Amino acid sequence: MIELDRRSFLKGAGAGGATCALASILPGSLAALEKEPLKALGEEVASICEMCSTRCPIKARVINGKNVYISGNKEAKSFGGKVCARGGAGHDLLYDPQRIVKPLKRVGKRGDGQWAEVSWQEAYELMADKLNTIKKEFGAETVAFSSKKGSLSGHFFHFAKAFGSPNTFTHGSLCPGAYVMASKAMFGTKLKRDLSNAKYIINFGHNLYEGINMSETRNLMKAQADRGAKLVVFEPRFSIVADKADEWHPIRPGTDVAIALAICHVLISDDLHDKAFIDQYVEGFDEFAKEVQHYTPEWAEPITDIKATDIRRIAREIAAEAPHALVDYGHRATFTTEEFEMRRAIFAINVLLGNIERKGGLYLGKKAKTYNKFAGEKVAPTLAKLTVEGMPKPSAKRIDQSDKQYTMTWKNGGIYQSVLEAALNDKPYGLKAWVMARTNPMQTMNDRAKVLAAMKKMEFIVVCDVYISETAAYADLILPESTYLERDEDVADKSGKNPAYYVRQRVVETIGDTKPSWQIFKEAADAMGIGNLFPWQDMETRQFAQLNGDAQELKRLKEKGYLSYGKPLLLREPSLVQAFVEQYPQAKATDADGTYSSQLKFKTPSGKIELSSTQVESFAPGRGVIRYRPVELKQADELYFIQGKVAVHTNGATHNVPMLANLMSDNGLWIHPVTAGKLGIQTGDRIRVTSSVGSEEGSALVTPGIRQDTVFAYMGFGSKTKELVRATGKGIHCGNLLPDRTAPVVGMNLHTTGVKLAKV
Amino acid sequence: MKKRYVMIHDENRCIGCQACNVACRSENSVPEGVTRLQVRVEGPFGEAPDLHFKYHRVSCQQCENAPCVTVCPTGAAYFDDNGIVTINKDKCVGCMYCVAACPYKVRFMNPETKAADKCNFCKDTRLARGEDPACVSVCPTDALTFGDANDVNSEVSKLLNTKISYQDKSHLGTQPRIYRIPTKRGGIQS
Repeated sequence: MIELDRRSFLKGAGAGGATCALASILPGSLAALEKEPLKALGEEVASICEMCSTRCPIKARVINGKNVYISGNKEAKSFGGKVCARGGAGHDLLYDPQRIVKPLKRVGKRGDGQWAEVSWQEAYELMADKLNTIKKEFGAETVAFSSKKGSLSGHFFHFAKAFGSPNTFTHGSLCPGAYVMASKAMFGTKLKRDLSNAKYIINFGHNLYEGINMSETRNLMKAQADRGAKLVVFEPRFSIVADKADEWHPIRPGTDVAIALAICHVLISDDLHDKAFIDQYVEGFDEFAKEVQHYTPEWAEPITDIKATDIRRIAREIAAEAPHALVDYGHRATFTTEEFEMRRAIFAINVLLGNIERKGGLYLGKKAKTYNKFAGEKVAPTLAKLTVEGMPKPSAKRIDQSDKQYTMTWKNGGIYQSVLEAALNDKPYGLKAWVMARTNPMQTMNDRAKVLAAMKKMEFIVVCDVYISETAAYADLILPESTYLERDEDVADKSGKNPAYYVRQRVVETIGDTKPSWQIFKEAADAMGIGNLFPWQDMETRQFAQLNGDAQELKRLKEKGYLSYGKPLLLREPSLVQAFVEQYPQAKATDADGTYSSQLKFKTPSGKIELSSTQVESFAPGRGVIRYRPVELKQADELYFIQGKVAVHTNGATHNVPMLANLMSDNGLWIHPVTAGKLGIQTGDRIRVTSSVGSEEGSALVTPGIRQDTVFAYMGFGSKTKELVRATGKGIHCGNLLPDRTAPVVGMNLHTTGVKLAKV
Repeated sequence: MKKRYVMIHDENRCIGCQACNVACRSENSVPEGVTRLQVRVEGPFGEAPDLHFKYHRVSCQQCENAPCVTVCPTGAAYFDDNGIVTINKDKCVGCMYCVAACPYKVRFMNPETKAADKCNFCKDTRLARGEDPACVSVCPTDALTFGDANDVNSEVSKLLNTKISYQDKSHLGTQPRIYRIPTKRGGIQS
């Protein structure tokens, strides 16, 4: 429970009848309601998880009106009917007494933690009044909108567009954006990895055994444990994936790009690259080959601390398994500001191995439209795109588009952290309001003090969330969203090697006075006078329209929760193409070699894979060809500070969920015994880490599982606002140590910095 | 024929993610502050870069020669027909002899029922419905296998016959029915 001095309690109590300071019960929280049994909406409901952004297919069963047992949905084969700790604890969020179930209005100073419950009507009116006034005085573009990605952001950004602001952001630039943009620059689209069929996998710190993505985690284990694949991991820390690997190479932080380029060098100089593949599909190989001439393993050794002989050996080993071998392009960035080059260099190895559209390689998603075209018949229904006529076209430029090099970013969620410079220094113009949905920049964006300053400068802040998150604590208005177990949502595309759809459905009746965010922003639009741009009645009418009015198929989808169509197809894999052609008599004719090789096209300007790109060169001069550029990530007398994911928490979102907080509420700082010894630090000692922007106190975890020049902490801990009772003040707040530094071209927020370490 | 339920924990496949821990808690309504099951990630052991973690499942070992059953003065702790070490909470007087006697330290007093408690392979909940225990059903990497070792065709029999396995503290003669497939890292090859 929170400790409060009597003075601030009295101050809060004096502010009005409906208000109270943070005593044992938060106003507007579930604790303020009578505890009633859960009302189940079916014996077992198939739905979609939301404890992280992977959104795994789940099944949920209500037990005795008290508990929900959540497992995976077996209809989704690659997910195996499994669920992780976070997914299994979803019901604990549902019934957390600290969850917010009434709209709240700030009544004290920003961040003072004084809230008054208001009705939805009042909340909408306040929002409409403030936002419309700001729009009138300063323009709609002075309101920034940011949201978690997925079905939520679809509705929320529709609201932003209807309002007239171009400034919409997802967490892309704080997490997975770089590999998506690197992939689009080279292949014109996102790629997927066929881990389970790979015989050799190189992994640059993509910790799939802690940052669990159920289908990929299972596929990696399947490849390793059932099919004997070799896994090589380059990572500064001995993570779980490093433990499970055949080889762990403790690489110097931020230098992965040098290894990737040196592997490319060996593949080309040893003549191990797939020349036929390159001739047919690749543009710009010669420029690339000329550039990587310099990047020998001997050149990479002093940069990376990895022996040249090892790099050479690994390059030859993976080439021997090609094309059924891959280099994992990772997930959460950003190890270095040279993120664009790093992710492109990784993709380049895959191209040289010729693994595209082969088993155990990388492949393009096969959505219904593409798949049906190949099959020559309608195997899967296509999902109708619901568009609205008469949407306003914003005249203002996005705040992250004044520099041409960032051309690719806006389609991928924008440069989220550009909100800070705009709010604080009017660059390129000022922001007056910030509307957020299920995003927690106080944790996930770099330089917490700067985020706080930017928030304080805003005239109006609205946050839609399930908790008073560290960010929501500084809002003027909090809109309580229902948990995912209480929401129906749009049908989502989950296609992989063949088309698949799934849908989120309500498992229990809504507890308290919460609403799904699609409804919140539809109703807010009504209050703001733009409700005409939200012509759908409810979620069911949308789902019905998405499935082109096929009631039967919608019913089937809701029963099963996940529908998969056809069989897996990789255009260059003979066995899969053969099985496909046998299944569909009207299928497109294959090439002489029994594959669809000649049908493989890329959505790039040349229609080929652009290993070097004139398009990239045109908006980012000097970046057309992948090149190594040294980066200074720390001062000589500092240690590298790196972070990562843990299996029981999701970044800035789950640290207050009781069951998960009980499993882990603190993040000890990993310190090498030699480094710790010099400072007289032992496990459990209080320590202080200080960077150029902030300082954090935490506890030490002395372990040989980290480089001597590096310290590590799991991210998402150390919340500093009192509302997040179980998480506050526990552990190291990573965002408070990372400086606000943006990577070229991809606009990613940098996640490696230098720190000084001391015993407290 | 009576069943001989056993569980096998493959430490090569286990990633210490605690999905089992949470699922057990949810299915069996285990109160806050006590636990029937956790996996401890211990280490790393060895010299860098040849390090390895140990993934140690901590839960009732379902001993065939169970000290908790031997010491229980009221018969609250007993073997059911299929050999599962079970607790009759109506007979439990809360003397905590069993908690003290358990060499694996996995028995606890349930703060709600005030009786001794521990893992019983989900026999009242999932097993009764013909399902695998909660931990087995959610395990992301298929590290857990459960079944009847008296059935020669069961998955568990096949695994026990083809993989090297060990039991925790087997020198005590407790004969645990939790078998562990040791990690290949750290020297033991299976």
